[in-house]
Amino acid sequence: MALIETDNLWKTYIMGSEHLHALRGVTMSIEKGEYVAIMGPSGSGKSTLMNLIGCLDTPTKGEYKLNGKTVGNMNDDELANIRNREIGFVFQTFNLLPRASALHNVELPLIYNGTSASERRQQAEEALTKVELSERMFHKPSELSGGQRQRVAVARALVNNPSLLLADEPTGNLDSKTSQEMMKLFNLLHERGNTIILVTHERDIALHAHRVLSILDGQLASDERVAVGERNGASG
Amino acid sequence: MIVVPLIGLAWQALWANKLRSGLTLLGVVVGFTSVMTIISALEGMMGAIEDDLARLGPTTFIVQKWGIVTSEEQWLEVVKRKPFDKETGELISEGCELCETVAYSTGTGTDNVQYRGTNIRDVRVSGTTADYIDIVDLEVSEGRFHSFEDDVYRRHVAFIGDAVRERLYEGLDPIGRDVRIDGVKYTIIGVAKKQGGVFGGDERDSFVMIPFETFTKHYGFRGERMNYFVKAQSLETMDQAMDEVRMILRAKRHVPYDKPDDFAILTADNILEFLNSVTRMFRLGLVGVSSVSVVVGGIVVMNIMMVSVSERTREIGIRKSVGAKQSHILTQFLFEALITTFSGGLIGIIAGFLVAKSLVGMIDVDISPSGLAITLGLSISVGIGVIFGIYPAMKAARLDPIKALSYE
Ligand SMILES: Nc1ncnc2c1ncn2[C@@H]1O[C@H](COP(=O)(O)OP(=O)(O)OP(=O)(O)O)[C@@H](O)[C@H]1O
Ligand SMILES: [Mg+2]
Repeated sequence: MALIETDNLWKTYIMGSEHLHALRGVTMSIEKGEYVAIMGPSGSGKSTLMNLIGCLDTPTKGEYKLNGKTVGNMNDDELANIRNREIGFVFQTFNLLPRASALHNVELPLIYNGTSASERRQQAEEALTKVELSERMFHKPSELSGGQRQRVAVARALVNNPSLLLADEPTGNLDSKTSQEMMKLFNLLHERGNTIILVTHERDIALHAHRVLSILDGQLASDERVAVGERNGASG
Repeated sequence: MIVVPLIGLAWQALWANKLRSGLTLLGVVVGFTSVMTIISALEGMMGAIEDDLARLGPTTFIVQKWGIVTSEEQWLEVVKRKPFDKETGELISEGCELCETVAYSTGTGTDNVQYRGTNIRDVRVSGTTADYIDIVDLEVSEGRFHSFEDDVYRRHVAFIGDAVRERLYEGLDPIGRDVRIDGVKYTIIGVAKKQGGVFGGDERDSFVMIPFETFTKHYGFRGERMNYFVKAQSLETMDQAMDEVRMILRAKRHVPYDKPDDFAILTADNILEFLNSVTRMFRLGLVGVSSVSVVVGGIVVMNIMMVSVSERTREIGIRKSVGAKQSHILTQFLFEALITTFSGGLIGIIAGFLVAKSLVGMIDVDISPSGLAITLGLSISVGIGVIFGIYPAMKAARLDPIKALSYE
């Protein structure tokens, strides 16, 4: 069974009398342990697709199954539960709580699933250590560099050991050197067994993945495997 | 349960915005302070009146023509009643087995009282029998009250209230000096201890008491204004004693069996009940008006919460994206409101009590904290938090995660 299966996914935004189809029938499947990049021009529907996959939003039409469960029929609480336990989301703009320390930001998902305070602390510290930020636990986002902020976001995404790590242009706000470091981290996470879906504009970044999906105008335009030789990064 | 960490989040959010939280709190504090001040002061005042009435003693009742008149109709009935006659007092003291003492008291209203050319008005002059002082809580500070002999021999002696001493005999020892009442000379034999008044006036201490028979000699027997102070033998027999007196008087005054009494019997309890009933509307009105300020405090909370929810839209989106349910967001925001109104209520209750204490302290009344008022106040503060916090909290909880995340 595939981890992700979508069947003819549509997402339509209604703006006044106009119907804007952000997605027009996307059908695909992603297996557990895959490392997938989604590419496409601006406005093609990449973020819309990611939000659906991440259960932040529900499709207008079509079916989406995560781990065999149909997401379309789920109520708000069930979706929240999935976001909490199954999915780790990394955003282009980091989306950290500005007033909270890195540690508290990473603890956040654990607060909402009832993990005890001491365990929260321990798991958050572990996650921060994985992204090599154990030294900066008590810093607020404003006291961290862009790359460090994004690593906090990655730690937060990983803290619950989700089945799926989603990253929507995680390097969009980072310089190229920091971006390379971030991609090394993703390669490492993939090697450790995480399923990763990553949206990017840059072919360079996309080539870290093992499979590249291209989206054009809300539809899947191509689905290519990246041969080992073409891949970026040492991991292979 | 997960509620505890959510309360922690609520607390952190309030703490992160100290100035705003403080100002909101102030709005709530002001509301509760004003209500609590009024409630405590009223309670203190009623308590003081109650204490005053308690001086009558729980086993004493007063028989008089008038009673408490609360309507015009009643008034028309009461004026038609026969005055008491001279034998009434004796009939009561001889006929009532369960009565211990029957003292008489009568008066003229207010009179002029003079000492060496100084003239004061508004003094109650009354004639009382010697045992009056045993029934009523009136203490002698100097000299003595008039005696049985003074009464029998119709001596011209006077027992004066503290205000009279102060106004006519400042710096002098009044005992043995004379006082003129309506031109007649009396010798002062005693001074009463100061009683003080609920509203700070000295009207309770502005009196002169002379022996009953002496009074009758000068002013005649005033059946209209007779008060029979009857002390029952015990608290248990008080009701029976009152019945006995009632039967004696009905027989004496030929009241048909199917007609109500044509005289009144007053106890401290029914006077208090009357006072309570006439002041109830007034007190409710005051409390009602001041409650508006609590509601205003609630509106301040709601207003600030609405601002806070819209400012923190992105934060709410972040929380939802990592798995916060609607109920989690609702709980956090509701607790932000509740912490504010509850602590504002608590501070306001304490402050209001202290303000009330110093206010009524000015008129010599002391108050102690009332458990009921505190419990009620705190419950209301929680209620206000829920009522005014629920809407903004629901608004926060229902935000769409994607829209909230992309909110600038
Ligand atoms: N909430 C919304 N309401 C209306 N239209 C929307 C909404 N969100 C997205 N769209 C539209 O849907 C289309 C796809 O948007 P989406 O954000 O998925 O693009 P994208 O591929 O992520 O672009 P980019 O590379 O710029 O991030 C766009 O035309 C966009 O304007
Ligand atoms: Mg996008």
